[in-house]
Amino acid sequence: MIFIRCDGCVQSLAKKDEDMAEGSMFYHLDKTTVLQEARIFNVSPIRARDCRLVLTKIAYLTYQSETFGTKEATECFFSVTKLFQSQDAALRQMVYLIIKEFSQVAEDVIMATSSVTKDITANSDLIYRANAIRALVKITDPSILQGNERLMKQALVDKNYAVVKAALVSCIHLFASAKDMVKRWASEIQAALSKPGIASYHALGLMYLIRQNDKMAIIKMATAASRVVFRNPHTYIVLIRTTCRIMDDETPDQRSLMPLLQNFLKHKDYIVVFEAARAITGLRNVTAEELRYATHALVTMLSNHRPTLVFAAIRLLNRIAHLHRSLVVQFTPELEARINDPNRNIATFAITTVLKTGNEASVDTLMKQIASFMGDISDEFKVVIIDAIRSLCLKFPAKQSMMLNFLANVLRDEGGYEYKRATIEAIFDIFYSVPSSRETALSHLCEFIEDCEFTRLAVRVLYLLGTEGPKCATPSKYIRYIYNRLILENAPVRSAAVTALGRFAADVAELRPRIRILLERCLDDNDDEVRDRATLSLRLLDIAAAADGEAASAAASLLLNENTYVWPVLEAQLYTHLQDAGTAAVPFSDAHVPRLTKTEQHDHAMHARAQREGRLALSPTAHKFDAHGRPSPSDHRTAVGGTGGLHDYQQELSLVPALAPLGKILHSSAPAALTESETEYVVHCVKHVMPAHVVFQYTCRNTLNDSVLMNVSVQMRMQLLNDMELEAEADPGAVAALAGFAPAFVVPIPQLRYDTPETMWVVYHRPNHCVPLASFQCALHFHVYDVDPNEDLDAQLADAAEETGDRGYEDEYELEGLEIVLADFMVPDGRVMGTAPSFEAAWHAAAAEDARETYNLTAVATCASAVKSIVPMLGLAPVQGSDVVAAGKNTHTLLLAGRFVDGTPCLAQVRMVSEEGAGVTIQVMAKSPNPTVALRVVNAIQ
Amino acid sequence: MAGLWAAFMDWIYAWFWRQEMELTLVGLQNAGKTTLVNAMSRGQFSEDMIPTVGFNMRKVTRGGVVMKLWDLGGQARFRSLWPRYCRGVDAIVFVCDAADRAKLAAARVELHDLLGRPALAGIPVLVLGNKNDLAGALDVDQLIDQLELRTIVDREICCYAISAKTHANLEITLQWLTQHAGKGGSRGSASTLPAAAASGSAAAHHAALDAALPSPP
Repeated sequence: MIFIRCDGCVQSLAKKDEDMAEGSMFYHLDKTTVLQEARIFNVSPIRARDCRLVLTKIAYLTYQSETFGTKEATECFFSVTKLFQSQDAALRQMVYLIIKEFSQVAEDVIMATSSVTKDITANSDLIYRANAIRALVKITDPSILQGNERLMKQALVDKNYAVVKAALVSCIHLFASAKDMVKRWASEIQAALSKPGIASYHALGLMYLIRQNDKMAIIKMATAASRVVFRNPHTYIVLIRTTCRIMDDETPDQRSLMPLLQNFLKHKDYIVVFEAARAITGLRNVTAEELRYATHALVTMLSNHRPTLVFAAIRLLNRIAHLHRSLVVQFTPELEARINDPNRNIATFAITTVLKTGNEASVDTLMKQIASFMGDISDEFKVVIIDAIRSLCLKFPAKQSMMLNFLANVLRDEGGYEYKRATIEAIFDIFYSVPSSRETALSHLCEFIEDCEFTRLAVRVLYLLGTEGPKCATPSKYIRYIYNRLILENAPVRSAAVTALGRFAADVAELRPRIRILLERCLDDNDDEVRDRATLSLRLLDIAAAADGEAASAAASLLLNENTYVWPVLEAQLYTHLQDAGTAAVPFSDAHVPRLTKTEQHDHAMHARAQREGRLALSPTAHKFDAHGRPSPSDHRTAVGGTGGLHDYQQELSLVPALAPLGKILHSSAPAALTESETEYVVHCVKHVMPAHVVFQYTCRNTLNDSVLMNVSVQMRMQLLNDMELEAEADPGAVAALAGFAPAFVVPIPQLRYDTPETMWVVYHRPNHCVPLASFQCALHFHVYDVDPNEDLDAQLADAAEETGDRGYEDEYELEGLEIVLADFMVPDGRVMGTAPSFEAAWHAAAAEDARETYNLTAVATCASAVKSIVPMLGLAPVQGSDVVAAGKNTHTLLLAGRFVDGTPCLAQVRMVSEEGAGVTIQVMAKSPNPTVALRVVNAIQ
Repeated sequence: MAGLWAAFMDWIYAWFWRQEMELTLVGLQNAGKTTLVNAMSRGQFSEDMIPTVGFNMRKVTRGGVVMKLWDLGGQARFRSLWPRYCRGVDAIVFVCDAADRAKLAAARVELHDLLGRPALAGIPVLVLGNKNDLAGALDVDQLIDQLELRTIVDREICCYAISAKTHANLEITLQWLTQHAGKGGSRGSASTLPAAAASGSAAAHHAALDAALPSPP
C-alpha cells in the first residue's frame, strides 16, 4: 500500500514540474514564500513592478488550485488594498484579479467597495474600469449595490466595449441575488444587443434569464432577436438554444418557431448551422419532415476539412439514422466515403451509421471493413460498433451466423469489462430474438467462459446456459463446460455453475444420475455458498424423484426457477408488513405479490433498455432545471407518468388495499395535466378502465413550502355525453347501465406536504361493461394548514391538532376539466391484423359489415394535421406508416388497428380529402366482429 | 526673474527634501471625513455625499509634503477594520461631528477603543470637532471634556474645532499634520514627545486656535 502511495506522489510531483517548466519564474513556487513576499505591498513608496510580480505569483498559485486559508487570504487582501494608492494601470488590473480571487475566501472584502466604485466612475478611458466592474459584484452585497445602481446602468451603455461586456457578465452573476434590480435595467441590456462581439452573446443570455419564467415574453424576444444581424456566431447559438427550450414542451404541430430554427440552417457560419441541426435533432418527437433540411446541412459538412466538424456532423447523422432511418439512406455514398477516414473516431461513426441505414446486401462488405480497423480504436468506440451490430442483426436475422462469428472473434480479443459486456449482451439478444442462432450462440459463449477473467460475465453466461442449455438438442455437451468451471474458477462462478447443473438435472432425465455424481462432489467444496447450493439441488432432486404429484412439481419448479416476484412490490409489501405491529405475529404471505415469468422479465429488460437508448441525451435541454434547481415541470411530467407501462399502474393500484379487489387494468390513458405547470398545486390525472369500474388516479404536488394540505380529494361533477340512440341500439340494457355510472368511493390523500407528490383515487362504478362518455368539472378540496417552512413540520402539525384546527381552513382549488372519450376504451395494437400480409388483406378478410360516417372538419387545414387530431380521438394504432402524410398531397388514407378493452379487435380506415379554404372532408370506416364497437369508432369523431 | 528662480529652487528643494507621510482618517459615520479630504485636496464642499463603503485613498501635496490619506468608512461594520489601516501611519486623525451631541458618547468609546490597541501605541492623534459653523456645535474645551482626551497621556494628542464647509481652522490643521511628516520612523519614542509642543503652537495661534491640551502633570 505504501509503495503505491509513494509512487503516486512521485508521479504527481513529476507532473507538476512538467507544468511549471514553462516559466522558470514560477518554478517551485511556494505559498508561504509568496505570502512573505507579499509584505512588499506595505512598503512606501509603492514599487509597482515588483508588486505586480508578486500578485502574478499569487494568481498563478490560485489557478493551480492552491487554497488559501481565511486568515491568510484576509491578511493578504488588506495588504493588496494598500496598492490602491498607486495609479499604475497594469498594477491595478492585477489588484482586481486578486480581489476577485480572494472575494470568496477573505473576510470583510466589502472594504474595497468605495475604491472600486471610484475607479468605475472615473471619467476616462482607464483600462481597468472593466476589471473594477467585475470585482465590484464579487465584493458587495445587493443592498449596497442598490446605492450604486446608476453606476451599473451607465456601464451597460458605456461607449467602451470592454466595460459593457464586464457589466453584462456582472449582471448575470447578480441576477441570482438581485433579480428585481437587474430587471430594472432591461432597456439598457436590450441596447447592448446591438454591440459588436461577444457583448451581444452575454446580453441575449441575460435577457433570457430575465424572462425565463414567461414563455410568451421569450417567444417575443426570440422572434425579435432573429431579425437582428449579429456579428458574433455565439449569439446565434444562445438564440437557438433559447428557441429550442421553448419548443421542447410543444408538440410537432404547435412548433411555431420551427421556421426560425430552420432558417439558421442556411447561415454562413458552420457553428450556427451545426447548433441548429443539433437543436432540431434533440427536439422531443421530432418528425422526419422537420429533420430533412438539418440532414442536408449535416451531409454538406462531411466534406469539410476540419475533422472536429466532420466528427460532430457524423455523430449527429448517426443519431438521425436512429430516429428516422429513411432520411439518411440516400446519403449512404457520402457516409461510405468517410469509412476510410484516417480519423478512426469519424470512421467508427460513419460505419455505424451505414450499418443502420444499410440493406442486407451491403452488410458483408461492411463487416469486413469493420474487422479491419477494430484493432485501431478505443474500447469506447468498440462498444458503439458492437451496439450497431446488435441492432443490425436483429434487423436482418438471416445474417446472424456471420455476425455471431464476428462477435465470437471479438470475444477472443483483449478488451475491458464494458467492451466484453456489450459483446455478450449482443450475443444474448441475438440468442433470444433469432431462434435459429441458439446452438451457435451457446457454443460461442461456452468457449468464452473457458477463458474469462470477469466473474460477473461468467456468472451471467452460466445462468443462460442453465436456463437454455437443457432445451437444446444435445444438452450433454454443455455439462463439460460447466463442470470445468467447478474445478477452475472462484466461488461465485462455482455457485452459479452448481445452480446451472441443478437445472440440467431437473430438466433432462437421462443426464440426472450423472449430474448427481458431479453435484455430490461439490459437497466437499470449501465455499459455503457452493455447498449450500449443491445440497439444495440434491435434496430437491430427491423430492422430485421420490414423491409424485404436487411436491414433485413444486420441487422441479423451484429448481427451474421459472417465475420471479416483481421485486419493488415484494419490497414494499415486506416493508409494510414489518411496519404494521398487528401483522407482526402473522407470517408474511406472498399471495398478493405479482410474479413474472422468464419471458416477461426479458421483455421488461428489453423495454427498459430501449427507453434508455431512446433517451440518449443529445439535446442541450435534456437536463433542465428551473430557478430553484428542481427538475423542470416537463421533466416532472415524464417522471410522473412517463414510466407509462401498464404494469406500473397495476402495481401502484395493488398497493392500495381499497383498490386491490377491483381487478386488472384493461387500459390506462396517458397522464393529462389538470393545472398549469407553474401553479400552487400541480395535478395530473390518469384514467384506468377496469372490468367493472373506472378509476381516476390523481397525482398531486404541493409547490407551496408554507402550507400543508390535509384530506385532499378531487370533487368531480359529471355530464354524460353518450349518444343514447346508439346505446339503445347497441344493447337494450345500456341506457339503464349508463345510469349506474356513478361515484363509488374516493381514496383521499391524508396529508400533502411541500414538494412530495402523492396519489389520490376516485372510483366510479361501470355496470354491465357499459361505455360511458362523459365530461367532468373537477376541483381540489382540502384543509390547509399554514406552516413555517423553517421549523419542524411535525411539531407544528401536532400543535395544530391540539388546538383542534385553529389555524387550518377548508379551501377549494379549481382544476381544468376532464373527459372520458372512446379512446380511453381502445387499446392501440397493430398486432390485431394477425398473419395478414397487409392492412388491405386483413380488412378484406374481416367478415364483418363495415360502419361508415362522413365528416367535414373545418378547423383543420391539411391532411397532416387531420391525421394528428384523428389518431388520439380514436385511440387506435396507425399501421403501415400511414400516419405520415407526404408533403403537398391533398388526399390521404389513414389505416388504424387496435382492440376494444374487452379484447374485440377493430380495424379502421379514414379517407381524407383536403380543399383549400374548406378544411378536410373525411370518411371513417370501421370493421369489428362486434358491430357496436365499429359504430362507436365511427361516431367518435368530434 | 527672481520669482522664477525662487520657484525653480522650490522645485529643486522639493525634489531633494520632499517628504511623504501617511494619515488615517477615522470617526463615526456622517462626521465629515470624506468632505474634509475633499476640502483639503481640492477646496470643494458638497452637501450631498454618499457614505463611504470601505475606504478611499487620496494624496494631497502640501508645502513639499505628500500626504497619503486613508479615508475610512465610519459605519459600525467597518470600525473593526480601522486598526488595519492605522498601523504604521504618521498620525491618526479622529473626526467627530461637534454638532451631534447624541453621538459623542459613541465617538468617545470608539476613540478610546482604537487608541487602546497595543499595535497603535505612540502614534500621534489629532482630534477634530467638525461642523463648528453649525449653531450648537461644541467648542474645543467641551469637546476635550466630552471625549475625555485628558486621560490619554501616552502619546501626543491635539484637538481643534474646524469646519470643512467654511474652511475654519483648516490651515492650522494642515500645518499640524505637515509638522508630523516623517516622524513615523520615531514612532516608538513618540510617547516621549511632550504634548506641550502642541500646546505651544496653540498659544502662538491663539486667535485661530480655540484650545489645546495642557501638558500632563
